[in-house]
Amino acid sequence: MLYRLSTPGVGDEVVEIRVLQWHGECGKAFAVGELIVELETHKALIEVRAGQSGVLRRVFAAEGDWIRVGEPFAVFSERPDEPLGEDTETAAVFLAKFVVD
Amino acid sequence: MNAIERLRTMMLIRAFERTLAARPDHGFQLLSAGEEAVAVGLCSALQPGDQLLTGGRSIGPALARGVDPKTVMAELLGKSAGVNRGKAGRGHLADPEHGFFGAHAVVGGNLSIAAGVALAQQLSGQPNIVCVLFGDGAAGSGALHETLNIAALWKLPLLFVCNNNQLSVSTPRRAALAPRRLADLAAPFGVPAQTVDGMDVVAVAEAIASAARGVRSGAGPAFVECESERFGPHSTTARETRDPETLERIRARCPILRLTGDLELAGAVSPASLATLEAEVEAMVAEAVAFAEAAPYPSPSEALADVG
Amino acid sequence: MSAKAPRVFFREAIARAIAEAMRADPRVIVLGQDVGAFGGAYREFEGLYAEFGGARVRDTPVAEAAIMGIGVGAAAAGYRTLVSITYMDFVMLALDPLVNYAAKLRFKTAGRLTAPVVLKTTAGARGQGVAHSQCLESWLMSVPGLTVVAPSNPADAYGLMRSALRADGPVVFVDHKRLYPIPGNAPASDVPVPFGQARIARPGTDITITAHSFMVQVALTAADALAKEGLSVEVVDLRSLAPLDIDTIAASVSRTGALLTVEEGQLTCGVGAEVAARLRERQGGLNVARVGAIAAPVSSNHVLEAAAIPDVERVAQGVRALLRARESGHPNSVCSGGGPGAV
Repeated sequence: MLYRLSTPGVGDEVVEIRVLQWHGECGKAFAVGELIVELETHKALIEVRAGQSGVLRRVFAAEGDWIRVGEPFAVFSERPDEPLGEDTETAAVFLAKFVVD
Repeated sequence: MNAIERLRTMMLIRAFERTLAARPDHGFQLLSAGEEAVAVGLCSALQPGDQLLTGGRSIGPALARGVDPKTVMAELLGKSAGVNRGKAGRGHLADPEHGFFGAHAVVGGNLSIAAGVALAQQLSGQPNIVCVLFGDGAAGSGALHETLNIAALWKLPLLFVCNNNQLSVSTPRRAALAPRRLADLAAPFGVPAQTVDGMDVVAVAEAIASAARGVRSGAGPAFVECESERFGPHSTTARETRDPETLERIRARCPILRLTGDLELAGAVSPASLATLEAEVEAMVAEAVAFAEAAPYPSPSEALADVG
Repeated sequence: MSAKAPRVFFREAIARAIAEAMRADPRVIVLGQDVGAFGGAYREFEGLYAEFGGARVRDTPVAEAAIMGIGVGAAAAGYRTLVSITYMDFVMLALDPLVNYAAKLRFKTAGRLTAPVVLKTTAGARGQGVAHSQCLESWLMSVPGLTVVAPSNPADAYGLMRSALRADGPVVFVDHKRLYPIPGNAPASDVPVPFGQARIARPGTDITITAHSFMVQVALTAADALAKEGLSVEVVDLRSLAPLDIDTIAASVSRTGALLTVEEGQLTCGVGAEVAARLRERQGGLNVARVGAIAAPVSSNHVLEAAAIPDVERVAQGVRALLRARESGHPNSVCSGGGPGAV
């Protein structure tokens, strides 16, 4: 099963977030709680950790790129060998957990 | 300044202000008859590279600091040959090249400015100090307390000199300020402070010199309170609040008479040398008046010059 | 991502402008609460303390009057100070040294002294209540001797800060709490924005909106919405309030024929009032309306705050109402937009 990683809405102010550092390449399996990527809002650094185990398959934003809040920026699969196909556009969205004051 | 120079300078201030006040075009002035020892004692302990900032009672301190009496008179009469082209007047007179960074007519307004000038001195590693002269009227202001705090914290080379002439327009100092002595205001901040007789130019000069030594050494700010009395009302438009007997008693404490008496006792002056001094001073004042009278007023277009 | 104009957070544009100025000129110093190791309330001074040290980047106690005075005095004595007052509301405490001394210094000394000081402060409502929400820049526009600027985006924040730290007199640099989350492209190298120069943020033909600071963002969003209704809105970002670029505004209004001024501050004696008055003097008859805050303090209560300050819908309503009034032959209608039912 595929799912897409996205960021939750954090108030109507924060529209764009910057990708600071990926902690793994495509193909890496992440266990629950493992650090996937660090993002930067205007105020703070956010650590995005895996809420469920899965394999990082595709990344839509490299380090230094800007992502819009609510838009998926990576695709994960439960198993490493699942085909991606069209499901990358429609797979369920998994929201990273964080809050911006 | 030696003793004769101090005497001459006090006499110059007295004669200058007397001459100014006698003119119909004297304008709005704060005069310092009776307070000359504070200005002269203070300036005699400053060095050429130091900067002095004052409040609105600026004529005495400016002359004591060595600002040319001709350009001071021209400034006070609003002429373009004045220190600031006639645009500052007494309230804002500034001659930074001669160590008179400036007067500021806002009571207490120059305190933090002076701390900024002191910060600049400190950052550039200059050995000079900054002195800010203010009255008892400014001693209740938040500006004084805020500035004392930061000056102490940052060890700024700033000398606070409070000319406590014991009246703020009509309010006696004891009705306005709670501390026993105004020098006590410096104590909470750990700033060394002393109170001296402001009618004695020698005492003022010694107190300032010793305080300035500490400030110059990098120890941080110091505070000197000079207790003085003014002969006249707060300003040329303010009503006098004291009765004639009190005024007579105050005039008997005249700092010029006092120094003259001391110098006579010491044999340092004679009636002849005093007469010479008086004549010199009158000549300087007359020269200043002539210079100012001959100078033109600024053109009205100068109202828009140097705005920003 | 262009190397010539990297996309950065608003705070990064400011920090970079200050750092570059401090590298180029050892006389530039920064004073204020929380500017040192903390890097500023919005991280807008981040990196300065580490690079330049505590002598040049100084944390101060809460004493706005004294800190402003010290910044002004040090500037008068040959340094270039940036004084940070985090909330514009507390600039009120600093008005004496700013207005009575710094703004008057060159004039009163006939040019012998001047105070190259930048007061940087953050205005605007964002849930922090009546004494932490105000936009007071219109109060300062009228002070002779003061330059007042207000960027709406990172590029102008960078460019105006660079210009401010080169000016030879006092400059008030007003930014806004709600600009900090909005990234934008800022020049990678020194591109100063001159004072007195507005910018056409969005060209249009049916109406001119003038705005500054965060309201430029609001106006642009309103313009996008109005485009769907077939209206072409030109948005002029004032950038500089004193001096005001009346030439650019007048040229725009002579093309569009209608002017809506938008500000988050009060309408009475506000920026829009000044823009409208000067345009009238320049052009005679004018179709103009103003949108601003309602005449009340701004509560931290989110419902009341939203009711108090202009938003996209009120700006759009202001545009529609002005254009309707013009069509029906009733020019010069003035609507104090911002409150429910006001339009």
